Amino acid sequence: MAPPKLKYTEDELVASLKRNEQAAFEYLYDHYSGALYNVICRIVRDNEKAEDVMQEAFLKIWRSISSYNPDKGRLFTWMLNIARNTSIDAVRAEGRKPDFDDIQENLDRADQHASYQPSPSTMDLKSLVEKLKPERKILVDLVYFQGYTQEEVSEQLRIPLGTVKSRIRTALQDLKNYFSV
Amino acid sequence: MNIQAYIESGILEEYVLGAVSSQEKQEVECLSKIYPEIKTELLKLEQAMEKYALEHQTPPPAHLKGKIFAQMKFGPISGQVDTDEDQGATVVPIGTGTTTTRPLWASLAVAASVLLAVLLGWAFYQMSAYRAQNESLTAEVESIRSEAEYQQTLANLYRSTDYKVVRMAGVERSPESHVVAFWNQATNEVLLDVQKLPAPPSNRQYQLWSIVNGTPVDMGVLDQEFEGRILKMKATQPGTAAFAITLEQEGGSPNPTLEQMYVIGNV
Repeated sequence: MAPPKLKYTEDELVASLKRNEQAAFEYLYDHYSGALYNVICRIVRDNEKAEDVMQEAFLKIWRSISSYNPDKGRLFTWMLNIARNTSIDAVRAEGRKPDFDDIQENLDRADQHASYQPSPSTMDLKSLVEKLKPERKILVDLVYFQGYTQEEVSEQLRIPLGTVKSRIRTALQDLKNYFSV
Repeated sequence: MNIQAYIESGILEEYVLGAVSSQEKQEVECLSKIYPEIKTELLKLEQAMEKYALEHQTPPPAHLKGKIFAQMKFGPISGQVDTDEDQGATVVPIGTGTTTTRPLWASLAVAASVLLAVLLGWAFYQMSAYRAQNESLTAEVESIRSEAEYQQTLANLYRSTDYKVVRMAGVERSPESHVVAFWNQATNEVLLDVQKLPAPPSNRQYQLWSIVNGTPVDMGVLDQEFEGRILKMKATQPGTAAFAITLEQEGGSPNPTLEQMYVIGNV
Protein backbone atom coordinates (compact mmCIF):
# COMPACT_ATOMS: atom_id res chain seq x y z
CA MET A 1 0.00 0.00 0.00
CA ALA A 2 1.28 3.46 -0.84
CA PRO A 3 2.12 5.62 2.14
CA PRO A 4 -0.75 8.01 2.82
CA LYS A 5 -0.26 11.38 1.22
CA LEU A 6 -0.79 14.44 3.32
CA LYS A 7 -1.73 16.73 0.52
CA TYR A 8 -3.14 16.18 -2.95
CA THR A 9 -3.92 18.69 -5.64
CA GLU A 10 -7.39 18.19 -7.03
CA ASP A 11 -5.98 16.66 -10.23
CA GLU A 12 -3.74 14.25 -8.34
CA LEU A 13 -6.56 13.27 -6.07
CA VAL A 14 -8.93 12.57 -8.95
CA ALA A 15 -6.27 10.54 -10.78
CA SER A 16 -5.53 8.45 -7.68
CA LEU A 17 -9.23 7.92 -7.02
CA LYS A 18 -9.75 6.76 -10.56
CA ARG A 19 -6.91 4.27 -10.03
CA ASN A 20 -8.91 3.02 -7.01
CA GLU A 21 -6.15 3.72 -4.50
CA GLN A 22 -7.09 3.24 -0.88
CA ALA A 23 -4.95 6.14 0.37
CA ALA A 24 -6.84 8.52 -1.92
CA PHE A 25 -10.23 7.36 -0.69
CA GLU A 26 -9.06 7.68 2.90
CA TYR A 27 -7.92 11.22 2.18
CA LEU A 28 -11.28 11.92 0.57
CA TYR A 29 -13.13 10.57 3.59
CA ASP A 30 -10.96 12.38 6.12
CA HIS A 31 -11.32 15.72 4.36
CA TYR A 32 -14.86 15.72 3.08
CA SER A 33 -16.97 13.36 5.17
CA GLY A 34 -17.67 16.10 7.73
CA ALA A 35 -19.11 18.45 5.13
CA LEU A 36 -21.07 15.68 3.43
CA TYR A 37 -22.36 14.31 6.73
CA ASN A 38 -23.51 17.78 7.70
CA VAL A 39 -25.68 17.94 4.58
CA ILE A 40 -26.98 14.42 5.11
CA CYS A 41 -27.94 15.15 8.73
CA ARG A 42 -29.79 18.29 7.72
CA ILE A 43 -31.91 16.40 5.23
CA VAL A 44 -32.36 13.06 6.97
CA ARG A 45 -32.59 14.32 10.57
CA ASP A 46 -32.24 10.94 12.18
CA ASN A 47 -28.83 9.92 13.43
CA GLU A 48 -29.13 6.24 12.71
CA LYS A 49 -30.54 6.85 9.27
CA ALA A 50 -27.87 9.47 8.57
CA GLU A 51 -25.15 6.89 9.16
CA ASP A 52 -26.77 4.53 6.66
CA VAL A 53 -27.09 7.31 4.12
CA MET A 54 -23.48 8.40 4.65
CA GLN A 55 -22.38 4.85 4.02
CA GLU A 56 -24.53 4.50 0.92
CA ALA A 57 -23.38 7.85 -0.47
CA PHE A 58 -19.69 7.15 0.09
CA LEU A 59 -19.94 3.71 -1.49
CA LYS A 60 -21.73 5.34 -4.45
CA ILE A 61 -18.88 7.82 -4.77
CA TRP A 62 -16.40 4.95 -4.75
CA ARG A 63 -18.34 2.87 -7.25
CA SER A 64 -19.04 5.66 -9.70
CA ILE A 65 -15.77 7.62 -9.54
CA SER A 66 -14.97 6.39 -13.05
CA SER A 67 -17.95 8.34 -14.35
CA TYR A 68 -16.86 11.59 -12.71
CA ASN A 69 -15.75 14.04 -15.40
CA PRO A 70 -13.53 16.88 -14.11
CA ASP A 71 -14.42 18.98 -17.17
CA LYS A 72 -17.96 19.25 -15.88
CA GLY A 73 -17.13 20.60 -12.46
CA ARG A 74 -15.25 20.18 -9.25
CA LEU A 75 -15.07 16.88 -7.39
CA PHE A 76 -16.72 18.28 -4.29
CA THR A 77 -19.73 19.58 -6.23
CA TRP A 78 -20.15 16.12 -7.72
CA MET A 79 -19.85 14.39 -4.34
CA LEU A 80 -22.22 16.82 -2.67
CA ASN A 81 -24.81 16.13 -5.35
CA ILE A 82 -24.52 12.41 -4.66
CA ALA A 83 -24.84 12.92 -0.90
CA ARG A 84 -27.80 15.26 -1.31
CA ASN A 85 -29.63 13.03 -3.78
CA THR A 86 -29.05 9.91 -1.70
CA SER A 87 -30.44 11.72 1.34
CA ILE A 88 -33.47 13.01 -0.51
CA ASP A 89 -34.14 9.53 -1.89
CA ALA A 90 -33.91 8.06 1.62
CA VAL A 91 -36.35 10.62 2.96
CA ARG A 92 -38.73 10.04 0.06
CA ALA A 93 -38.55 6.27 0.58
CA GLU A 94 -39.97 6.90 4.01
CA GLY A 95 -42.78 8.77 2.35
CA ARG A 96 -42.13 12.05 4.07
CA LYS A 97 -40.63 15.28 3.03
CA PRO A 98 -38.91 17.40 5.63
CA ASP A 99 -41.43 20.06 6.54
CA PHE A 100 -40.71 23.69 6.67
CA ASP A 101 -42.46 24.40 9.97
CA ASP A 102 -39.34 23.77 11.96
CA ILE A 103 -36.77 25.24 9.63
CA GLN A 104 -35.50 27.59 12.26
CA GLU A 105 -35.32 24.90 14.91
CA ASN A 106 -33.63 22.64 12.40
CA LEU A 107 -31.08 25.23 11.44
CA ASP A 108 -30.34 26.00 15.08
CA ARG A 109 -29.84 22.35 15.77
CA ALA A 110 -27.63 21.87 12.73
CA ASP A 111 -25.48 24.80 13.78
CA GLN A 112 -25.13 23.44 17.27
CA HIS A 113 -23.96 20.14 15.95
CA ALA A 114 -21.71 21.62 13.37
CA SER A 115 -18.25 22.08 14.68
CA TYR A 116 -16.24 24.90 13.36
CA GLN A 117 -12.99 23.65 11.90
CA PRO A 118 -11.02 26.39 10.26
CA SER A 119 -7.93 25.26 8.43
CA PRO A 120 -4.85 27.47 8.79
CA SER A 121 -5.31 28.98 5.34
CA THR A 122 -8.88 29.97 6.11
CA MET A 123 -8.37 31.09 9.68
CA ASP A 124 -9.64 34.54 8.87
CA LEU A 125 -12.99 33.19 7.68
CA LYS A 126 -14.47 32.99 11.13
CA SER A 127 -16.74 35.87 10.40
CA LEU A 128 -17.85 34.43 7.11
CA VAL A 129 -21.14 33.14 8.33
CA GLU A 130 -21.92 36.52 9.81
CA LYS A 131 -20.91 38.14 6.54
CA LEU A 132 -23.91 36.60 4.85
CA LYS A 133 -27.08 38.34 5.81
CA PRO A 134 -29.18 35.90 7.85
CA GLU A 135 -32.17 36.08 5.50
CA ARG A 136 -29.88 35.16 2.62
CA LYS A 137 -27.99 32.49 4.52
CA ILE A 138 -31.20 30.62 5.34
CA LEU A 139 -32.18 30.55 1.66
CA VAL A 140 -28.74 29.38 0.52
CA ASP A 141 -28.68 26.66 3.17
CA LEU A 142 -32.16 25.41 2.28
CA VAL A 143 -31.26 25.02 -1.37
CA TYR A 144 -27.59 24.05 -1.12
CA PHE A 145 -27.58 21.89 1.99
CA GLN A 146 -31.14 20.60 2.02
CA GLY A 147 -31.92 20.27 -1.66
CA TYR A 148 -35.12 22.32 -1.75
CA THR A 149 -36.01 23.90 -5.05
CA GLN A 150 -36.22 27.68 -5.14
CA GLU A 151 -39.92 27.32 -5.93
CA GLU A 152 -40.50 25.28 -2.76
CA VAL A 153 -38.61 27.80 -0.67
CA SER A 154 -40.63 30.62 -2.18
CA GLU A 155 -43.95 28.88 -1.52
CA GLN A 156 -43.21 27.73 1.98
CA LEU A 157 -41.60 30.89 3.28
CA ARG A 158 -44.08 33.05 1.35
CA ILE A 159 -41.34 35.05 -0.30
CA PRO A 160 -41.78 35.93 -4.00
CA LEU A 161 -39.76 33.63 -6.25
CA GLY A 162 -37.94 36.58 -7.81
CA THR A 163 -36.81 37.71 -4.37
CA VAL A 164 -35.64 34.21 -3.46
CA LYS A 165 -33.62 34.00 -6.65
CA SER A 166 -32.04 37.42 -6.34
CA ARG A 167 -31.17 36.93 -2.66
CA ILE A 168 -29.52 33.62 -3.41
CA ARG A 169 -27.62 35.08 -6.32
CA THR A 170 -26.40 37.99 -4.21
CA ALA A 171 -25.35 35.61 -1.45
CA LEU A 172 -23.34 33.47 -3.82
CA GLN A 173 -21.70 36.50 -5.36
CA ASP A 174 -20.78 37.67 -1.83
CA LEU A 175 -19.28 34.28 -1.08
CA LYS A 176 -17.42 34.24 -4.38
CA ASN A 177 -15.93 37.66 -3.81
CA TYR A 178 -15.11 36.80 -0.26
CA PHE A 179 -13.28 33.60 -1.11
CA SER A 180 -11.51 34.81 -4.21
CA VAL A 181 -9.71 37.57 -2.30
CA MET B 1 -23.68 35.74 -27.96
CA ASN B 2 -23.90 38.00 -24.94
CA ILE B 3 -21.82 36.06 -22.46
CA GLN B 4 -22.03 38.70 -19.76
CA ALA B 5 -25.83 38.64 -19.82
CA TYR B 6 -25.75 34.87 -19.55
CA ILE B 7 -23.39 34.99 -16.57
CA GLU B 8 -25.58 37.59 -14.89
CA SER B 9 -28.80 35.69 -15.49
CA GLY B 10 -28.25 33.72 -12.27
CA ILE B 11 -28.28 30.33 -13.98
CA LEU B 12 -24.69 29.57 -12.96
CA GLU B 13 -25.56 30.11 -9.31
CA GLU B 14 -28.54 27.80 -9.68
CA TYR B 15 -26.30 25.24 -11.36
CA VAL B 16 -23.79 25.30 -8.53
CA LEU B 17 -26.60 24.91 -5.98
CA GLY B 18 -27.88 21.86 -7.85
CA ALA B 19 -31.17 23.64 -8.52
CA VAL B 20 -31.39 23.25 -12.31
CA SER B 21 -33.23 20.83 -14.57
CA SER B 22 -31.21 18.26 -16.48
CA GLN B 23 -31.73 20.31 -19.66
CA GLU B 24 -30.33 23.44 -18.04
CA LYS B 25 -27.50 21.38 -16.58
CA GLN B 26 -26.48 20.21 -20.02
CA GLU B 27 -26.73 23.72 -21.41
CA VAL B 28 -24.45 25.16 -18.70
CA GLU B 29 -21.93 22.36 -19.16
CA CYS B 30 -21.87 22.85 -22.94
CA LEU B 31 -21.51 26.61 -22.78
CA SER B 32 -18.86 26.50 -20.07
CA LYS B 33 -16.83 24.25 -22.30
CA ILE B 34 -17.04 26.75 -25.14
CA TYR B 35 -16.71 30.06 -23.35
CA PRO B 36 -13.78 30.44 -20.96
CA GLU B 37 -15.48 33.37 -19.19
CA ILE B 38 -18.39 31.15 -18.20
CA LYS B 39 -16.06 28.39 -17.11
CA THR B 40 -14.05 30.77 -14.93
CA GLU B 41 -17.14 32.16 -13.26
CA LEU B 42 -18.51 28.68 -12.68
CA LEU B 43 -15.25 27.50 -11.16
CA LYS B 44 -15.10 30.48 -8.80
CA LEU B 45 -18.66 29.87 -7.66
CA GLU B 46 -17.99 26.18 -7.14
CA GLN B 47 -14.86 26.89 -5.15
CA ALA B 48 -16.68 29.42 -3.00
CA MET B 49 -19.50 27.02 -2.26
CA GLU B 50 -17.03 24.26 -1.55
CA LYS B 51 -15.26 26.41 1.01
CA TYR B 52 -18.60 27.44 2.42
CA ALA B 53 -19.62 23.80 2.81
CA LEU B 54 -16.28 22.92 4.39
CA GLU B 55 -16.93 25.58 7.02
CA HIS B 56 -20.02 23.63 8.02
CA GLN B 57 -18.85 20.24 9.20
CA THR B 58 -20.58 17.59 11.26
CA PRO B 59 -18.06 14.81 11.81
CA PRO B 60 -19.64 11.41 11.29
CA PRO B 61 -19.33 8.93 14.20
CA ALA B 62 -15.80 7.56 14.45
CA HIS B 63 -16.79 3.93 13.89
CA LEU B 64 -18.43 4.67 10.55
CA LYS B 65 -15.22 5.01 8.55
CA GLY B 66 -14.09 1.45 9.32
CA LYS B 67 -17.54 0.11 8.56
CA ILE B 68 -17.58 1.80 5.15
CA PHE B 69 -14.00 0.93 4.19
CA ALA B 70 -14.57 -2.71 5.13
CA GLN B 71 -16.98 -2.88 2.20
CA MET B 72 -14.59 -1.41 -0.35
CA LYS B 73 -12.01 -3.24 -2.42
CA PHE B 74 -9.02 -1.36 -3.71
CA GLY B 75 -6.44 -1.88 -6.38
CA PRO B 76 -6.65 -2.05 -10.14
CA ILE B 77 -9.07 -4.97 -10.29
CA SER B 78 -12.59 -3.87 -9.78
CA GLY B 79 -14.53 -6.12 -7.45
CA GLN B 80 -17.85 -4.87 -8.62
CA VAL B 81 -20.11 -7.18 -10.49
CA ASP B 82 -23.03 -5.95 -12.44
CA THR B 83 -25.92 -8.26 -12.13
CA ASP B 84 -28.33 -8.14 -14.95
CA GLU B 85 -31.79 -9.23 -14.16
CA ASP B 86 -33.02 -12.02 -16.33
CA GLN B 87 -35.52 -10.91 -18.82
CA GLY B 88 -38.55 -13.05 -18.13
CA ALA B 89 -40.03 -14.39 -21.33
CA THR B 90 -43.69 -13.71 -21.63
CA VAL B 91 -45.90 -16.32 -23.19
CA VAL B 92 -48.68 -14.97 -25.29
CA PRO B 93 -51.59 -17.35 -25.58
CA ILE B 94 -52.65 -18.08 -29.12
CA GLY B 95 -56.27 -17.23 -29.83
CA THR B 96 -58.55 -20.20 -29.92
CA GLY B 97 -59.87 -20.91 -33.40
CA THR B 98 -63.56 -20.79 -34.00
CA THR B 99 -65.16 -23.74 -35.69
CA THR B 100 -68.36 -23.36 -37.59
CA THR B 101 -70.46 -26.12 -38.94
CA ARG B 102 -71.89 -25.78 -42.42
CA PRO B 103 -75.42 -27.01 -43.14
CA LEU B 104 -76.28 -29.08 -46.23
CA TRP B 105 -74.07 -28.99 -49.36
CA ALA B 106 -77.04 -27.61 -51.32
CA SER B 107 -77.34 -24.48 -49.36
CA LEU B 108 -73.56 -24.19 -49.67
CA ALA B 109 -73.79 -24.26 -53.44
CA VAL B 110 -76.48 -21.57 -53.47
CA ALA B 111 -74.42 -19.41 -51.25
CA ALA B 112 -71.38 -20.00 -53.46
CA SER B 113 -73.13 -19.00 -56.67
CA VAL B 114 -74.56 -15.88 -55.07
CA LEU B 115 -71.11 -15.05 -53.86
CA LEU B 116 -69.66 -15.66 -57.32
CA ALA B 117 -72.16 -13.28 -58.93
CA VAL B 118 -71.38 -10.59 -56.42
CA LEU B 119 -67.67 -11.13 -56.88
CA LEU B 120 -67.89 -10.82 -60.64
CA GLY B 121 -69.66 -7.49 -60.42
CA TRP B 122 -67.27 -6.32 -57.80
CA ALA B 123 -64.23 -7.43 -59.81
CA PHE B 124 -65.38 -5.48 -62.81
CA TYR B 125 -65.82 -2.38 -60.70
CA GLN B 126 -62.39 -2.92 -59.10
CA MET B 127 -60.55 -2.97 -62.44
CA SER B 128 -60.60 0.80 -62.65
CA ALA B 129 -59.77 1.14 -58.98
CA TYR B 130 -56.68 -1.07 -59.41
CA ARG B 131 -55.39 1.17 -62.11
CA ALA B 132 -55.51 4.17 -59.78
CA GLN B 133 -54.02 2.15 -56.98
CA ASN B 134 -51.20 1.06 -59.23
CA GLU B 135 -50.24 4.66 -59.77
CA SER B 136 -50.30 5.46 -56.07
CA LEU B 137 -48.22 2.33 -55.39
CA THR B 138 -45.63 3.50 -57.88
CA ALA B 139 -45.45 6.80 -56.05
CA GLU B 140 -45.18 4.99 -52.74
CA VAL B 141 -42.35 2.79 -53.98
CA GLU B 142 -40.60 5.93 -55.17
CA SER B 143 -40.88 7.53 -51.73
CA ILE B 144 -39.72 4.33 -50.05
CA ARG B 145 -36.76 4.25 -52.41
CA SER B 146 -35.76 7.81 -51.55
CA GLU B 147 -36.25 7.05 -47.85
CA ALA B 148 -34.01 4.00 -48.26
CA GLU B 149 -31.39 6.10 -50.01
CA TYR B 150 -31.53 8.59 -47.14
CA GLN B 151 -31.16 5.81 -44.59
CA GLN B 152 -28.30 4.27 -46.57
CA THR B 153 -26.49 7.61 -46.76
CA LEU B 154 -26.97 8.04 -43.01
CA ALA B 155 -25.67 4.53 -42.30
CA ASN B 156 -22.62 5.22 -44.45
CA LEU B 157 -21.95 8.47 -42.61
CA TYR B 158 -22.17 6.79 -39.21
CA ARG B 159 -19.93 3.94 -40.37
CA SER B 160 -17.38 6.13 -42.06
CA THR B 161 -14.27 6.86 -40.05
CA ASP B 162 -13.80 10.08 -42.02
CA TYR B 163 -16.75 11.76 -40.35
CA LYS B 164 -16.90 12.87 -36.76
CA VAL B 165 -20.45 12.56 -35.43
CA VAL B 166 -21.50 15.51 -33.28
CA ARG B 167 -24.86 15.26 -31.57
CA MET B 168 -26.62 18.53 -30.87
CA ALA B 169 -29.17 18.20 -28.09
CA GLY B 170 -32.14 20.47 -27.48
CA VAL B 171 -31.72 23.18 -24.87
CA GLU B 172 -34.30 24.18 -22.25
CA ARG B 173 -36.52 26.04 -24.73
CA SER B 174 -36.83 22.98 -26.98
CA PRO B 175 -35.79 19.79 -25.18
CA GLU B 176 -37.23 17.55 -27.89
CA SER B 177 -34.97 18.93 -30.59
CA HIS B 178 -32.11 16.85 -31.85
CA VAL B 179 -29.76 17.38 -34.80
CA VAL B 180 -26.67 15.44 -35.79
CA ALA B 181 -23.71 17.03 -37.57
CA PHE B 182 -21.20 14.99 -39.55
CA TRP B 183 -17.85 16.71 -39.76
CA ASN B 184 -15.24 15.43 -42.16
CA GLN B 185 -12.14 16.50 -40.29
CA ALA B 186 -9.94 16.00 -43.36
CA THR B 187 -11.93 18.21 -45.75
CA ASN B 188 -13.94 20.14 -43.12
CA GLU B 189 -17.13 19.34 -45.01
CA VAL B 190 -20.16 19.42 -42.70
CA LEU B 191 -23.42 17.54 -43.27
CA LEU B 192 -26.53 17.79 -41.11
CA ASP B 193 -29.26 15.34 -40.27
CA VAL B 194 -32.21 17.02 -38.57
CA GLN B 195 -33.91 14.42 -36.43
CA LYS B 196 -36.26 16.87 -34.79
CA LEU B 197 -36.70 20.63 -34.90
CA PRO B 198 -39.95 22.59 -34.58
CA ALA B 199 -41.28 23.97 -37.89
CA PRO B 200 -39.89 27.50 -38.20
CA PRO B 201 -42.39 30.38 -38.16
CA SER B 202 -42.81 32.26 -41.47
CA ASN B 203 -39.97 34.67 -42.35
CA ARG B 204 -37.63 32.76 -40.03
CA GLN B 205 -34.97 30.22 -40.84
CA TYR B 206 -32.63 28.01 -38.84
CA GLN B 207 -28.93 28.80 -39.06
CA LEU B 208 -25.97 26.59 -38.17
CA TRP B 209 -22.95 27.96 -36.28
CA SER B 210 -19.61 26.43 -35.46
CA ILE B 211 -17.74 27.68 -32.41
CA VAL B 212 -14.08 28.20 -33.23
CA ASN B 213 -11.79 29.65 -30.55
CA GLY B 214 -14.81 30.82 -28.61
CA THR B 215 -16.27 32.70 -31.58
CA PRO B 216 -19.38 31.64 -33.49
CA VAL B 217 -18.81 31.23 -37.24
CA ASP B 218 -21.67 31.23 -39.76
CA MET B 219 -22.15 27.80 -41.33
CA GLY B 220 -25.11 28.75 -43.51
CA VAL B 221 -28.87 28.51 -43.14
CA LEU B 222 -30.82 25.26 -43.14
CA ASP B 223 -33.02 24.59 -46.16
CA GLN B 224 -36.67 25.05 -45.11
CA GLU B 225 -37.29 21.44 -46.21
CA PHE B 226 -34.93 19.97 -43.65
CA GLU B 227 -36.66 16.77 -42.63
CA GLY B 228 -35.75 13.32 -43.91
CA ARG B 229 -32.70 14.43 -45.88
CA ILE B 230 -29.03 15.17 -45.47
CA LEU B 231 -28.20 18.86 -45.67
CA LYS B 232 -24.83 20.00 -46.91
CA MET B 233 -23.60 23.06 -45.00
CA LYS B 234 -20.65 25.41 -45.43
CA ALA B 235 -17.21 24.03 -44.62
CA THR B 236 -15.99 24.62 -41.09
CA GLN B 237 -12.48 25.28 -39.77
CA PRO B 238 -10.05 23.02 -37.94
CA GLY B 239 -10.37 23.37 -34.19
CA THR B 240 -14.14 23.63 -34.17
CA ALA B 241 -15.24 23.09 -30.53
CA ALA B 242 -19.00 22.90 -30.94
CA PHE B 243 -21.94 23.29 -33.28
CA ALA B 244 -25.18 25.08 -32.49
CA ILE B 245 -28.38 26.03 -34.32
CA THR B 246 -30.33 29.24 -33.75
CA LEU B 247 -33.53 30.58 -35.30
CA GLU B 248 -32.78 33.71 -37.34
CA GLN B 249 -34.41 35.96 -39.91
CA GLU B 250 -34.90 34.39 -43.33
CA GLY B 251 -31.56 34.25 -45.09
CA GLY B 252 -29.58 34.18 -41.84
CA SER B 253 -27.88 36.72 -39.59
CA PRO B 254 -24.25 37.82 -39.26
CA ASN B 255 -24.28 36.96 -35.52
CA PRO B 256 -26.25 34.31 -33.65
CA THR B 257 -29.17 35.24 -31.39
CA LEU B 258 -28.42 33.29 -28.21
CA GLU B 259 -32.00 33.58 -26.92
CA GLN B 260 -33.11 31.72 -30.04
CA MET B 261 -30.73 28.80 -29.67
CA TYR B 262 -32.43 25.43 -30.21
CA VAL B 263 -29.67 22.84 -30.10
CA ILE B 264 -26.00 22.73 -29.17
CA GLY B 265 -23.40 19.98 -29.08
CA ASN B 266 -19.72 19.81 -28.24
CA VAL B 267 -17.28 18.12 -30.58
